Amino acid sequence: MSIALIVLLPLLGAVFPALMMRLGKNESAIAASSVTILSLVLLLTNIFAISQSTVPQASWPWVPQIDLNASFFVDGLGLLFAVMILGIGLLVTVYARFYLSPQEALGRFFAYLLLFQGAMLGVVLSNNILLLIVFWELTSLSSFLLIGFKSDSQEGRQGARMALAVTAGGGLALLAGMLLLGQVAGSFELTEILKEGEKIRSSPYYLSILALVLIGCFTKSAQFPFHFWLPHAMAAPTPVSAYLHSATMVKAGIFLMLRLWPVLAGTQTWFYVVAGTGVITMLIAAVIALFRDDLKSILAYSTISHLGIMTMLVGFGSEMAVVACVFHVINHAIFKAALFMNAGIVDHETGTRDISRLGGLASLMPISAITATLAAASMVGVPPMNGFLSKEMMLEEVTHATAIGVAWLLPGLVMLASVFSVAYSLRFLLYTYFGPVRNDYPAKPHDPSRGLWLPPACLVVLAILIGLFPEAWAGSITRLASDAALQSKSPKFHLSLWHGWTPALMMSIFAFGCGATALSLYVPVRSIWNKALLPDAKGLYDLSLNACVRLARITTDRSFNGSLHRMLFLFVLAASALGGVVFARSSYERGERELLPINTSMFVGWVLVIVACFVLAWKHQSRLIALLTVNIVGLISSIAFIYLSAPDLALTQIAVEVVTLILMLLALHFLPKEAINEVISWRQYRDIVLSVAVGASVGFLCWAMMTHDFQSISSYYIQHSKPLGGGANVVNVILVDFRGFDTFGEITVIGIAAMAIYAMLDGMLTGPLSATLLKWTSGLRFSPNRHPMMMVVVTRVMLPLAILVACYIFLRGHNLPGGGFIAALVVSIALIMQYMASGFAWADERVHFDYHALIGGGGLIAAITGIGSIVLGKPFLTSGFKYVDFPFIGKVELASVSAFDLGVFLTVVGGVMLALANLSNLGRMTGDGKQ
Amino acid sequence: MNHWMIFPILLPAVVAPLIVLAIRNDIVLARIFSIGCSVALLMVGGYQFGLASDGVIRTYAIGNWSPPFGIVLVLDRLSATMLLLTAVIGLFVLLYSITGWDNRGRHFHPLFQFQLMGLNGAFLTGDLFNLFVFFEVLLIASYGLMVHGGGGATRIRAGIQYVVMNLTGSSLFLIAIALIYSATGTLNMADLSRKIHETPAATQAILSVGGALLFIVFALKSALFPLHLWLPGTYANAPGPAAALFSIMTKVGVYSIVRLFTLSSVGLEWVLPAALATLMIGSIGVLASRSLGQQASFATLASMGTLFVAISGSNSMALSAGLYYLIHSTLCVAGIFLIVDLVIVKRPGFGDALVESPKFPYQGIIACMFFAFAVALSGVPPLSGFIGKILVLKSTQGFPNWHWIWLILFVTSFVGLVGMARSGSLLFWKCNTTQLDVALFDSNNPSPQVNSIPSPVASSIVLQSVAIGCFFALIAMLSVFASPVSVFMKETAEQLYDSQKYVDSVLGKDK
Amino acid sequence: MIGYAVLFGFAAISIALLMNLWRLAMGPTVLDRVLAGDTMVVNMIALIILYGVQRNTTLYFESALLLAMFSFISTIAYCRFLLRGDIIE
Repeated sequence: MSIALIVLLPLLGAVFPALMMRLGKNESAIAASSVTILSLVLLLTNIFAISQSTVPQASWPWVPQIDLNASFFVDGLGLLFAVMILGIGLLVTVYARFYLSPQEALGRFFAYLLLFQGAMLGVVLSNNILLLIVFWELTSLSSFLLIGFKSDSQEGRQGARMALAVTAGGGLALLAGMLLLGQVAGSFELTEILKEGEKIRSSPYYLSILALVLIGCFTKSAQFPFHFWLPHAMAAPTPVSAYLHSATMVKAGIFLMLRLWPVLAGTQTWFYVVAGTGVITMLIAAVIALFRDDLKSILAYSTISHLGIMTMLVGFGSEMAVVACVFHVINHAIFKAALFMNAGIVDHETGTRDISRLGGLASLMPISAITATLAAASMVGVPPMNGFLSKEMMLEEVTHATAIGVAWLLPGLVMLASVFSVAYSLRFLLYTYFGPVRNDYPAKPHDPSRGLWLPPACLVVLAILIGLFPEAWAGSITRLASDAALQSKSPKFHLSLWHGWTPALMMSIFAFGCGATALSLYVPVRSIWNKALLPDAKGLYDLSLNACVRLARITTDRSFNGSLHRMLFLFVLAASALGGVVFARSSYERGERELLPINTSMFVGWVLVIVACFVLAWKHQSRLIALLTVNIVGLISSIAFIYLSAPDLALTQIAVEVVTLILMLLALHFLPKEAINEVISWRQYRDIVLSVAVGASVGFLCWAMMTHDFQSISSYYIQHSKPLGGGANVVNVILVDFRGFDTFGEITVIGIAAMAIYAMLDGMLTGPLSATLLKWTSGLRFSPNRHPMMMVVVTRVMLPLAILVACYIFLRGHNLPGGGFIAALVVSIALIMQYMASGFAWADERVHFDYHALIGGGGLIAAITGIGSIVLGKPFLTSGFKYVDFPFIGKVELASVSAFDLGVFLTVVGGVMLALANLSNLGRMTGDGKQ
Repeated sequence: MNHWMIFPILLPAVVAPLIVLAIRNDIVLARIFSIGCSVALLMVGGYQFGLASDGVIRTYAIGNWSPPFGIVLVLDRLSATMLLLTAVIGLFVLLYSITGWDNRGRHFHPLFQFQLMGLNGAFLTGDLFNLFVFFEVLLIASYGLMVHGGGGATRIRAGIQYVVMNLTGSSLFLIAIALIYSATGTLNMADLSRKIHETPAATQAILSVGGALLFIVFALKSALFPLHLWLPGTYANAPGPAAALFSIMTKVGVYSIVRLFTLSSVGLEWVLPAALATLMIGSIGVLASRSLGQQASFATLASMGTLFVAISGSNSMALSAGLYYLIHSTLCVAGIFLIVDLVIVKRPGFGDALVESPKFPYQGIIACMFFAFAVALSGVPPLSGFIGKILVLKSTQGFPNWHWIWLILFVTSFVGLVGMARSGSLLFWKCNTTQLDVALFDSNNPSPQVNSIPSPVASSIVLQSVAIGCFFALIAMLSVFASPVSVFMKETAEQLYDSQKYVDSVLGKDK
Repeated sequence: MIGYAVLFGFAAISIALLMNLWRLAMGPTVLDRVLAGDTMVVNMIALIILYGVQRNTTLYFESALLLAMFSFISTIAYCRFLLRGDIIE
């Protein structure tokens, strides 16, 4: 439990500093550091167990399905990194408290910092490799937030985005690698995986795993060619740079390589890729560092260079090299964090980090100068500092390594890098603190408050102690960590200052001399460097990213051009293509059904439909003629329904035709009367071909459907309509009983459609479009006679007659053609007639009910009819009917479905009238209507 | 007979007409009824989810007509999950929209409830034609919501495209149903599942074409390539709450595909190329977007692609991965569209365009919410997007060309992340304070200019944040309880592939 | 006897419908086409009645009734559209 708490405490505790900020900066900092201290104490309780070579573990299942478990373990390597994360985290917290100005959101800063701390602890303490990825990406995210902390600076935002893109992108590769690794190893727990070295190295996926894992590690640890994000991450506040970008996060890649060393290392590929990348990174970064002017930038490249050293050591594949790497991880974290903090102090006190504007600070800021000198000495590797020790070990290992059969190649390159390393370190120190005192510093420099210089001073003291008494201060932890990294007892070694006149020491001294000389030639070398045309990694990154965005925009804009025509074309194409392929691949035989004889009138009807369609295609530019021809097609359809013995459908079709026509004419009023005359192009021919093909296919499908006999459920309906449904008209019984639920849905649709039309028109009249709409005129000249007398008289006479017809159709519906739906259409048309004859205002005045209420009421009646059966314990919409003898009238059938049909009737009347009335109301509002 | 099954359809079907009938002019009453109905739906949904988790498939014969002659509702694990998801989305989106959206136009609440009715009906029905009816209900209601509150010409144009495409789809739906009916003589899904294997060779092709056309219809609804063109325009131009509710609408298409193709035991392996294309187009769009709404729409498209990749696996493991991802993506998309709306409301004059703007009120809290949802949506740990993506990745390993699928999934993830990081930093970090006085937008200091802006700029965002926070809480729970959820999804997928059990439960064993 | 009369009626109506069709297709003005459509409906009504007579059923007469009652609305709507633009003012 306690191990998981080490990780969870900072993650959960991240809210405290943010809350405590309400009390003040100190309270916030205290909250943040108490969380860190608590976590550290928890960690240290495990030391005894680890030193006894046991590995404390804790595990809970999270998502076992994907082998993602919340399992943690802490061994030597994890312990080392965790101590570093928490220890330096504590110092950084103190430092940041004094570093950040009062205007900056310190609470938020500490929250991010703790978030990062927890994530980083998770990386080093996870036992499950997928959990490790979770924390790995969390470090990327929290680093994104921390780099972009000064969100109003361009560098901050860009640096944050770049860091996120590179490290999180690498994390994705790592995820792929880990998924493969887990599969090959047969387990996703590190403790298990580390036992499967042989199996993994001999697996066919070894190279893929290696490549993916290394991409993850190299991006995180800023190895060439992914190194470019780190210098730009320096836009973060200095405490962040000291913490994330020197001591901890960038070492996550090194950590993972150390962690997986037992299973991945030891092959030729590993050696060449890892050690090669390390050497190249080390050299290139050291060279660049020499020519940077920003203090933090120099340190950033120096960090990259040192990460290169560590990578190279891991890549060697020898056990002693791993020991050296572990030791250097410790030392580098100590002196580099101190140097970053120091650079922050200089920035804080003088107002600039530009080395060309600095110099001679030693007398003005003595304490800072001393810490800087000592830390820089450690970076160069001057005894008795800790950096010297690990540098010697590194050089010792390099002299043993042979690449491509050339014994001097690696030592040579490392020497060269060391020369540059000495030069930039000296430049960093001398050009900042020594030399003549200037009088043009942006601010008046003096030593900072204790809160700022104490944290780096602590680190420097530690650096000296490790340098002087390496066995006492770092021996056991290095051993523990190395044992854990190697998964076996590490080779015997003894950390001490003096090893005699070894080749490594010679190389060191030689490098120091050369470096110092090189620095004395700095001015001419710099002018050559400035003239050289060097690729700018950030420029390349920006260029390629912008090119990608531009390309994405072009393709997206091209494909999503908002053309409805294209959408429909693709839809029809997709449907016909898939349909065609599927048809071709399944079996089909010609139908057996006997064909009916053709009759003259139907033949004429057939000719009518076809000619009407041709006229439609030919004259479609005139929208009125198009409408007329569509009407003719509808008319023939209703005749066809009659011919095919479907009188209900015929009635419906006839009524719907009229309603649709009125709706279309109302809308057409606002549209151009002529469609745009398109230029005939290849696209039109393409469309013609497609539509003919689709039409032919649909025709064929209809033919196929109608020429095959099939067994269907309809016989059940015919058989049971009267005895069970209580109605002789099967169609109506299907509509209101067998499939009454469908009707329930469809009347809802009509109601919704009317309400949507109402809401939309209302929105158009009140919204941004209203101005255009209210000014609109059709620009045509019209007859002056608004309400012809003849029409008014006829429609008045028609109204009661039509309502009578509607009642008749409604009542007989259950047994003969008719029903609520048709009756509703008849009533609606009769009402619309009044609107047409005497105008909207006249008719609206005389309608004493709201169409909304009709829709709502109708829907409710239909629903309540259904609920009635629930109350009686039957399923929703169960029908009941009874024959009752009424005096004088005789035997009458009372059916619950009549109530349902009434609901249908009301909703449809309401729906149709609401839609039509509102559309016509719109016409009244426009310029034409107001005249 | 368990009458609870009809309630997810019946409740909104009663409340919506009631609002229209009696309280259409009283927004407060309408809100109370609407929220009440949604809460009740959530409770019923939870209850039914509990019922369905025992693995028994329950049926409800409407009108007491036994299947296949009458319409039957079927509640299995998948339906129950979708019902619960709909209820959750419905309630939280409604919570968000009562802060003012609902009052910008007429009939928001009835349309909203009708939309829920359509969704619930589509998830419950066991009848193909009834599915069509509920598709119509939810389509028309969604169209009403899409143009709710007026809006400029772009919204109306996008609305017309949306409705034209969907009506075309509906026509094809009818043709497909006719073809299937003519080959099998039935509309009941369980009966269909049985009859498919009894279809004579002579009409096999008619049935197959019917199935293919149905697939096209559902693919259109779920914006699968090459039928994806309508989605970004529609979502980006719809009002925020409507777009958030639409997140479940694309899933109706997926649901229908899953339902019908598992019942008919037809594999979907051939969908993979289209799924990958959708995924790529979506993530390219995320990078290319010029407004946050557009970006969210393209992210939706990409998530649909991922979902289809999983579904194309055509086995219960892949399907369960897909179902997990479906829940995740629905919640995420709903949340992100609410955030987009919040940005539009709080950033007057700039809307959700990805351009530099002055600081705007509540920038910090909106940024936080965006960050959380962007993390979830782009599949970065530790949220459900990551778990869902790994589930999908693992499920595709059986494919012969899984390397390519992995590559595309990883690259699109990366592209999506970069795109989101760009827009987030531009929108929330890059703020010039020089152009406009920040005090102008200070909530404590409402100036005349603020009042002249129609949207309630200075109003508090407590309720909105709560609604979005609820979505985030659900995503967090989906991540923490990923294991039980994915066990449930596994059972769901197995239940789906056991089509014989479905048939037996609906039609009875003896037949 | 009635059979022949019905057949003759069918033939006459069919010819009339074809002539309507000619006018509908050829125009020349929109009004000609509207009138052609209207006349077509009249012929259709006759056709339905005749069909009912032939099949000896009254089942189809409601359709004829509805057509007769409402088809003129369509024609009026067209005319109002041509005369006034807005059919409901």
